[in-house]
Amino acid sequence: MRIEPIRAAGGRSTHIRHDDDLIAAKGVSVVMARQLVLQNIDLAIPKGSFVSLIGPSGCGKSTLLKVLAGLVEPTSGSVSIAGLSPVDAARKRMIGLVFQEANLLPWKNAVDNASMLLGIADKSLSRAQLKERGQEMLELVGLGDSAHKRPHELSGGMRQRVAIARALALDPAVLLMDEPFGALDAITRDSMGQSLLEIWQRTGKTIVLVTHSIDEAIHLSRHVHVLGIKPGRITESLDIGLPYPRDLSVTEDPEFVRLVVQLRTMLRASHQPGGAS
Amino acid sequence: MSDQSVTNLSESRFASSWSAATGSWLPAVILLLATIAVWEIVVRVFAISAFIIPAPSEIAKSLAANWATLMQATLVTAGEILFGFLVSVVVGIAIALVIVRFDWLGRALYPLVVLFQNVPKVALAPIFILWFGYGLAPKIGLILVIAFFPVTLSMLAGMQSVDRSLLSLMNSVGASQTQILFRIRVPHSLPNLMAGTKIAATLSVIGAIVGEFAGASDGLGYVIQFASTQLDTALVFAALLLVSVLGIAFYYAAEILERIVVPWAPKFSHA
Repeated sequence: MRIEPIRAAGGRSTHIRHDDDLIAAKGVSVVMARQLVLQNIDLAIPKGSFVSLIGPSGCGKSTLLKVLAGLVEPTSGSVSIAGLSPVDAARKRMIGLVFQEANLLPWKNAVDNASMLLGIADKSLSRAQLKERGQEMLELVGLGDSAHKRPHELSGGMRQRVAIARALALDPAVLLMDEPFGALDAITRDSMGQSLLEIWQRTGKTIVLVTHSIDEAIHLSRHVHVLGIKPGRITESLDIGLPYPRDLSVTEDPEFVRLVVQLRTMLRASHQPGGAS
Repeated sequence: MSDQSVTNLSESRFASSWSAATGSWLPAVILLLATIAVWEIVVRVFAISAFIIPAPSEIAKSLAANWATLMQATLVTAGEILFGFLVSVVVGIAIALVIVRFDWLGRALYPLVVLFQNVPKVALAPIFILWFGYGLAPKIGLILVIAFFPVTLSMLAGMQSVDRSLLSLMNSVGASQTQILFRIRVPHSLPNLMAGTKIAATLSVIGAIVGEFAGASDGLGYVIQFASTQLDTALVFAALLLVSVLGIAFYYAAEILERIVVPWAPKFSHA
């Protein structure tokens, strides 16, 4: 495994309790602009798992991810990440964030973009150490030979790979991803998903993925949580029993097809407002 | 064979880029030359008095006859423009940084800056002469009040248009406001800032001339005013020509600066 904490003997791992659940949300509700965006969310995400949150637009799945990231304060309820509040966990570099837009800095090349957040988070690192770490992460996401390219020289998929490298450079315990492939074309999307699976298996990170793609959720995740609308709540949870390692041929598996039908039925029900189903 | 085709390709590329260049410049040059020719002919045919509209040839003669004086005046005005422009850019950037970094100060300062923008600043010229005398200072002051605003406004717009999710990323790792300001907001604002700087360069020329109109003993503005009291209209036009040349020179200097400062910015000027 190529990923190692920068400080080999650092206290990082002692912060992580060796419980099964890395992330535990209990009774989380969020009210924004007098709207109940999330209602009474209970969510337990085991360490090292790959979990997808799927649901119709407006179900609050992105808000839930922001709550887990400590970017949105829940109105009631609590979230713990390895026993810490999300804000504290983020300060300890335990959370890596990837959004739909890569949001790279156009004046920095790929390797400097990849190490940018790490440089902010850990001021003790030298420029050379940051570059080395950035390069290592670019290689992990398959962009080892594009280190000196500026964002405008990269394709949308490559930019998103740099954004993933930037999140991984923090060596976070959990990767929170909000529709990271939503702006990409179907073919790029498939290969990005496959790359993400490989990164997940090599690094053992816990990944929480917000998506609106049924195929993507089943292809990648071990658990899928379906969110319903008005108010946003978890209506169903589905375990994906397909064995890892998976590749794109898994989409032709009869079990995959059965799961797609099952998840689609769940999603259809989730479009009904209120406590239906 | 392949060598041949490469040569052809590069030749045709050269030809097409040359024709593109002439295609964009040629009509303007032709129109300019035609205007000068018509001007010359009209003045001669209708025997228009030289102190109302001098013929282009008269302007050229005046330019040659007063070359030393005009060059000296150009140098003085250019110095005022350069100095005033630099002060405007520095002050404009400083105000923008203060407004963004210190929230309460920004909320106090920003409305006043906008309010001040509505003062007709050309009208301040006599007051500046009263306060600072006839030297360089009143011109710098006038250029400053005219030219800092586009710098401040464009930089503010750039600093405030940083994507929210990028700020979320920075906040999540505990970045300070100062780090966000200098690592993200300021570099992100540079393309906007350079656009504002180009406007400031043009306004600086206006500020210098107005300052010289209000009271000066040297410079192109002084020459224009002096020559018009002497009814030496040809000299007025000669000085005007040099003012225009200065304006164009400062504008392109600002554009070259832009290319150096923000090489990553999209270039719009290449058709």
